[in-house]
Amino acid sequence: MQAEIYAYKCTACGHLHHPAHFVCVKCGGREFEQVALTGEGTLVTYTRVYNLPEGYMKPFIAFGIVEFPNGLRAAGQMGTDELQLGMRVRAEVGVVKEGVGKDFYGFIFQKAE
Amino acid sequence: MRQVGIVGVGHTKFGKAGVPLVEMLSYAAVEAMDDAGIKTGKGHGIDQVFAATMGGGMINRQHGVASALVDTLNLRPAMAESVENGPASGASAVKLAYMAIASGMCDTALVVGGELMRVVSGWEATDFVATMLHPEAEYNYGLTLPALAGMFTRLYMEKYGVTEKDLAMVAVKNHEHAMHNPVAHIQLVPDLYSITEDEDAIIINPHVAEPLHVYDVCPVSDGAAALVLCAMEAGDRFPKKPVRIAGIGQATDTHAVAERAVSTDLLAVRLAAEKAYAMAGISPREIDVAELHDAFVILEIAESEEAGLFPRGEGHLAVRRGDTKVGGKLPINTSGGLKAKGHPLGATGVSQIVELTRQLRGEAGGRQVAGAKNAMAVNFGGFGNNVIATILTTGGPEKYASGNLRI
Ligand SMILES: [Zn+2]
Repeated sequence: MQAEIYAYKCTACGHLHHPAHFVCVKCGGREFEQVALTGEGTLVTYTRVYNLPEGYMKPFIAFGIVEFPNGLRAAGQMGTDELQLGMRVRAEVGVVKEGVGKDFYGFIFQKAE
Repeated sequence: MRQVGIVGVGHTKFGKAGVPLVEMLSYAAVEAMDDAGIKTGKGHGIDQVFAATMGGGMINRQHGVASALVDTLNLRPAMAESVENGPASGASAVKLAYMAIASGMCDTALVVGGELMRVVSGWEATDFVATMLHPEAEYNYGLTLPALAGMFTRLYMEKYGVTEKDLAMVAVKNHEHAMHNPVAHIQLVPDLYSITEDEDAIIINPHVAEPLHVYDVCPVSDGAAALVLCAMEAGDRFPKKPVRIAGIGQATDTHAVAERAVSTDLLAVRLAAEKAYAMAGISPREIDVAELHDAFVILEIAESEEAGLFPRGEGHLAVRRGDTKVGGKLPINTSGGLKAKGHPLGATGVSQIVELTRQLRGEAGGRQVAGAKNAMAVNFGGFGNNVIATILTTGGPEKYASGNLRI
């Protein structure tokens, strides 16, 4: 059960990563601390995908890439049908894929009020 | 470093193979060996075999493909390795064969790439390809290659003014080229108006991953392609004049696409191409024909810019002008490309080199680029996180001798 998504902060230089890296992309450091990656961001790009596996009871799934104020970008599912480049979105965490005996949690971006 | 050339090419008809994986690879292999004038059986002279397949283990439940291939072709006890590098497996295998010969470890190598994908459903094929995405940051979300390509396409259209019609024009061009390539999967040319502006266009050509439509995406194909490579100093043992591999460049990029500094850049394409040009001592202006990895048609446009063939943001203008058609200034994907010839993953990088070898030999028939001397291939792995550029030439090594110092 993972209801929070993290950024990984290099303890040597402070550079933030998402997803996790083994070696810091900036200074080569190998130690990181987890920092919650939450809040609002900007929708950089998006798509609606129509070729879904069997069993999906919806016509499409929307995906997007969001930029957070700290500069990190992350991909996720879109929880809103109102999609526009540059729109403000809020990062929520939910089940993005149901696995066998284990669900996968990830970003589901919602339109920010 | 020894110079390396191509003396044999083979290629199955892409589409639905209807035979097991190793048998399909064998058809391409023996065609390449016949083309090189190599006897099957004793005294064949093949020192090393590389077999490229991305999904042999996962979709065909067969590992050790190169070992199986060597046995059925009676090439024992030749050295053999299977090569997996995503959709760039084919060019990786060519690169490894180049290195094996250039190093002096062997004189003649057989490279075979192939994929048997039509044995699973379309969704299973898409899902299997998606396993190369970042597990936590991409794959678990249900992201696939078409999804990443859709998001990339939207950014590219927004930034450079590329239109949906431009994308469709690339597709129509590649389908037109494929009509002259008997081994291409799709032998049909869609009507540009019907798939873009007609009131029924969205029914004929529905969205796959917005803004990409069906005709912007390559089909799922079976197929195999093969090459015989030799040391140039042994080139006169073969009936056809070797086409020389002048340069190979490879580069990698971030695993998660969202992490890239500039979302519309394909940095690994740029770096791989720069390395290949430097090694070859050939400039982008000297390229006469190119095979670019158009799994999604936007990639042909973006790669043509990153590889320096057209200025940044102007690849789609070259398409509008007709520069990239056979008969144009710089024909791209004369084979039909992945879009129309098909994209059996492990075969693609080898298939691109087969096409360019035929072009440089003057054997390309109705799609021949007159007088082609230098050619470039870009084989794109992941969503651009592992890219190999290869330059072929009819020119001799003497002119470019210093280029070899690069590796
Ligand atoms: Zn650091």
